[in-house]
Amino acid sequence: MLNILVCVKQIPDIDLVKMDPETGNLVRTGVPTLTNPLDLNALEAAVQIKERFGGRITLITMGPPMAESTLRECLAVGGDEAVLVSGRGFGGADTLSTSYAIVKAADMKGRFDLIFCGKESLDGATGQMASQLAERFDAAQISCCLSIEDIKDGRIRATRALENGRELVEATLPCLLTVEKDNFYGRLPSLDAYLASKSAPITVYAETDIDGLDPQKIGVPGSGTIVPKIYPPELPEPGQIIRTGSPRTDVGRLLELLTEKGSL
Amino acid sequence: MKKSDYQNMWVYIEHDGRTAAPVGLELCCELRKLCDQTGDRLFAVVLGELPESELDKVKDCGIDGIIRVSGTGYEYFNTDAWAKAFTVLSRKYNPSAIFVGGTIDGRDFAPRFAVQLETGCTSDAMELGWDAETGDIQFIEPAVGGKIMAVITVPALRPQVGTIRPGTFPCAPVGAKQEIERIEERIDFDPEKIRCRHLGFIPDESDPELDIANADCIVCVGNGLKDSEHLERYRTLAKLLGGKLGCTRPLYDRGILPYKLQIGQSGVMVKPKLYISFGVSGAVNHTAGVDADVFVAVGKNPEAQIFNYCDYGIVGDMDEVCDEMIAQIKALRQ
Repeated sequence: MLNILVCVKQIPDIDLVKMDPETGNLVRTGVPTLTNPLDLNALEAAVQIKERFGGRITLITMGPPMAESTLRECLAVGGDEAVLVSGRGFGGADTLSTSYAIVKAADMKGRFDLIFCGKESLDGATGQMASQLAERFDAAQISCCLSIEDIKDGRIRATRALENGRELVEATLPCLLTVEKDNFYGRLPSLDAYLASKSAPITVYAETDIDGLDPQKIGVPGSGTIVPKIYPPELPEPGQIIRTGSPRTDVGRLLELLTEKGSL
Repeated sequence: MKKSDYQNMWVYIEHDGRTAAPVGLELCCELRKLCDQTGDRLFAVVLGELPESELDKVKDCGIDGIIRVSGTGYEYFNTDAWAKAFTVLSRKYNPSAIFVGGTIDGRDFAPRFAVQLETGCTSDAMELGWDAETGDIQFIEPAVGGKIMAVITVPALRPQVGTIRPGTFPCAPVGAKQEIERIEERIDFDPEKIRCRHLGFIPDESDPELDIANADCIVCVGNGLKDSEHLERYRTLAKLLGGKLGCTRPLYDRGILPYKLQIGQSGVMVKPKLYISFGVSGAVNHTAGVDADVFVAVGKNPEAQIFNYCDYGIVGDMDEVCDEMIAQIKALRQ
């Protein structure tokens, strides 16, 4: 039976995050959260593997206590067990320290044959976590996976998307995969699974619960990067807005201007 | 080792054995300017075989030196050999920074060797700066969906690792230096230890509709689009103008159009003569990918950032304006 890990992240709805013009800080208070959509594609891939080859899916995330709702959402879709890595010491982490904390926490649950990740998160969007997790798991890596052909004899055969085509590859287990969403659209949970997820137990690991965790390697101290400054993007001066009173005359004026410019 | 003991900046030259990918040249050109500020020397790093004529193109970008790595394990890209090679080289030469093109392969192995070296890694910077006081590179990039620009630094660790998307910086070679140092390294990676093996490659069937990078005219549809049933008119308009249809990221995320039509920093960079956007908000991540002679924006929100990037704007219902354009262009041509 395959032991499968799916890494997920709860993110703020970035459409609703605003920057405080006075302080220059991001205002996240009261902003709704969601499960990073690309992580649901990763979960779907894991569920398909479980259905085809048999297996057990463990979900893991790092975040504040409220990130539990993301784990429950994923449990309803197909997870068997969930781990929340949560504690103040983990806060402010970049990908270097997050990948360290996740792998140390996952080690507490045993060895995983397959690890699935979304390609990136919509909020941080570095796209670095998967590679860094693969390195720390000492796992092979198949990024941008399009389809999984077969898993046998400790190997996985899959296709992956490249810039100009698709590559067929074969990797040894353990292997970490990021998936393209094309063949892994997320599914809705059944009502029973949804209800069961509401009361499912979730393992919560604080800093002191994780064996051999080096406090210097997590959170801010363990991060390689910092963000010393954020600022609003400098916008160019607005262009000429055509306001003639009706769409018909607006378009007429636009086409005149484009004709003068030689653009048509 | 102190931070200041790490010197020189490196650019990875991605290639397919015949030609160097443009992104490596773009990065060399941009980093030439940065190294002139910092006093670092600029090295190109080439793994595996690449013809001398292609190396000349790299040299033209103002590099001070070139590190050529030969050995086993480099016949076909694999993250194991690539990450290991950079870890070995970095430990030997201690560069201050390593830049890698943000291609699928680059984004695969660069964060990996950053972990092997336990150092900071950034991705998708759109501008590079330098803080003379700290000696740190400033990686400046859009964040939170393009609402803010963030300055990211690697304050304590070295090397500073960054992946940068193709097309972010122009390739403007300043010419080859008279003296270019040449370092030959042999780093063997046991092919038996490559954990992910290449078995085959199927090229995409070429579909001209999906090839928008060189289109002269682009009609770009954004998240203002209600649903896919409203899409056809934009295709019609594009066809009428002899152009191609493109989209912003949300339309790809919504499953309405394919990734190859996504315009912007994480998609296709375009440089059309005429660009008309409909229902596009104007996030930096998108506009960074558009270099148009004439930029037209249509959308219902007059406050949308897109109107800061346009030459001409129309505030109104996107479908209505599109239908009107189709009708009037047809009338003009009769």
